[in-house]
Amino acid sequence: MSETVAILGANGFIGRRLVEYLHLSDLAQVRPVVRRPNALAGLAVFDLDCRIADALDTGALELALAGCDVLVHCVAGDAKTIVGAIGPAYAAAQRAGVRRLVYLSSGSVHGQAPTLGTDEATPLRDDQPIAYNNAKVRAERQLRKLRETGDVELVILRPGIVTGPRSYWVESFVSALVAGTAALVDGGQGICNSLYVDNLAHGVHLAMHVREADGHAFLLGDTETVRWADFYRPIADALGFDLAGLPTAVFRPQRTRMLDRIELLQQHKVLGPALARIPKRVRRIAYAALVSSAQDSQQGSPWTHPDWSAGEPSVPEVTLEMELLGRCGYKLPHAKAQTLLGYEPIVGFEEGMRRTLGWLRFAGFPVITLPTT
Amino acid sequence: MTDATGPVRIALVGCGAVSTHYYAPALQELQRAGEVVLAAVFDPDMDSAERLAAQFPAVVVADSFGALQAAAFELAVVASPPTLHASQSIQLLRAGRAVLCEKPMATTLVDAKAMVEVAAALRIPLAVGMVRRFFPAAEFIRDAIALGVLGELSSFNLAEGSADFGWPVTSPGYFQRQQAGGGVLMDIGVHVFDLLTWWLGEPAALEYADDAMGGIEANCLVSCTYASGLQGKIRLSRDAPLANQFTLRGSRGWLRWSANVADAVEIGLQGSQHLLEATLRRTGPAGMSLRLAAPAYNFEQSFVSQLRNVARAVRGRETLRVPASDALAAIRQLEHCYDHRSLLALDWLGDAEIVHARQLQQAMK
Repeated sequence: MSETVAILGANGFIGRRLVEYLHLSDLAQVRPVVRRPNALAGLAVFDLDCRIADALDTGALELALAGCDVLVHCVAGDAKTIVGAIGPAYAAAQRAGVRRLVYLSSGSVHGQAPTLGTDEATPLRDDQPIAYNNAKVRAERQLRKLRETGDVELVILRPGIVTGPRSYWVESFVSALVAGTAALVDGGQGICNSLYVDNLAHGVHLAMHVREADGHAFLLGDTETVRWADFYRPIADALGFDLAGLPTAVFRPQRTRMLDRIELLQQHKVLGPALARIPKRVRRIAYAALVSSAQDSQQGSPWTHPDWSAGEPSVPEVTLEMELLGRCGYKLPHAKAQTLLGYEPIVGFEEGMRRTLGWLRFAGFPVITLPTT
Repeated sequence: MTDATGPVRIALVGCGAVSTHYYAPALQELQRAGEVVLAAVFDPDMDSAERLAAQFPAVVVADSFGALQAAAFELAVVASPPTLHASQSIQLLRAGRAVLCEKPMATTLVDAKAMVEVAAALRIPLAVGMVRRFFPAAEFIRDAIALGVLGELSSFNLAEGSADFGWPVTSPGYFQRQQAGGGVLMDIGVHVFDLLTWWLGEPAALEYADDAMGGIEANCLVSCTYASGLQGKIRLSRDAPLANQFTLRGSRGWLRWSANVADAVEIGLQGSQHLLEATLRRTGPAGMSLRLAAPAYNFEQSFVSQLRNVARAVRGRETLRVPASDALAAIRQLEHCYDHRSLLALDWLGDAEIVHARQLQQAMK
């Protein structure tokens, strides 16, 4: 263990596991960097040199990065934050003398349902229907431009659907199961470009060191080709739900498009700030009216009996993102990472799922059964 | 100096999150009622002290703990980092000031006992901020247990925690072992131990595991066994979305309380198809109808009640509801847990990571 690695956004799902993995595996001196003191709550289990710095504040970041060899940038946030957190981080890394910046982009720069043959050489577009994708594309472009004149080496990683403890994809499915709103797109037959979080952490570690990686972007994934049903089934089983009994999700393009447009509008240079000036209460009411499903607001007669008057169950709806992901027919390759980084996934899908379910139980989710090792 | 018949003059030691969000509004409420006057404040961060003082008229902002003691006040609220509680409280007691010390009253049992001994020797009130004892729900549960409403008690389960730690911490020091003394057990566990001891007495045995690996615990699990055979589990977390409920089961039924909801409980009877979701009200003279009974205190009002009780005890008008001697049991259990900690099952770590994690925890002993 020799290098000092700053993890920017260390309290997020990926950052948290990176800190654990690098520290407990003795792979680096880890320095977590977070925006607010209370974001240290989970990281404080270790005696580490934690720092507070806003990812948009170059001066604070420079102080936090002093003495670090590598910066791993895994700041999460909305589209504005994703793009806004690039320039300050690169400038601070440059001033602090950081050797290499490893940026956690996303496989979704290629869209949620990439076409056959897509790989790192496929041109990126920033006019996709999902704001997150465009922000990640712009962030990558900005970094490449900064690298042209800067000294800090750059490696871009494009993970797929990152799974594991605290994963959004795990937690959101569990929440939907428990709330009775879980549904499958296309019967769960679409390809989930899964990447167990430890495999990503392993990829980050390789990206920190392999000299030839500078200037490259790498797609990362699990070994197995995993369909959404494969991903969801063990979770449903562990919680006592029958995946086969879940309804088919419905995508309503008109309503979803409206929400997507609002999201894009919020990023607009002129209209975004104007939208922000509308009182929050008015915005909230308007937004709620758009997103809320049609609920039966009738009070009903006192004679209405609940045992047979519950009405038709509502049909679960999905976002455009989930609709596209659920119909994905292509497993993104990680051949370039294998060749150039020497990347091979270190945790198989089944083992990753076993660990994920262990975490669900740890975190108080209603796990009934766990798979045996 | 001080007027023994007028409002109790108070000094606030430490102007961090608990003072800003809880003590300041409680002091304002009691100052409006003529019960207290905030006379002086101190915090090493002068900006925090100035900001808090600006909410009150004519408050002395001391630039050191020593300078604070020169101000005229009768009661000090010690709300500094836990590792300072004992030394500051003892200094204040020796200077003749009554003390309300925030929880945990100390980070070691030795320090806690020293505080109690000094207060007893000098016959000066020393209270501990165990605000949950002032919750109407906590009192109701104690009464229900004492009256045997649930029959013979068999088990309890308490889970408290959320995925995002929301407490508005102002400094990373809150998470440093040297300042905080501990993590979620020190912070929330001490409340839990205090309440359980108040309700059930001290457990005969405790088993403890947490996830501290050189730092402070974000998660912990305590298994309690009582002489009666009652078994209980306490699960606390700063990063997992737990149920935030206490459920106590007995031969006649069960009782459930949502943590930090001061004025409501749920009760179910053994074999019954229905449960009772109850909002508590304050009873007056015997026979008072529900319509006339006032709503029970909420969280904020309970906090005000705690401070009012200590202020009135200073005047000799009430007895302390949570004297420091009562809070010793919680510190004893806290210390026992830390002394006998093992590593929680962290199933997502690889084998080599677990070995290292155990080594890091072992090195803390």
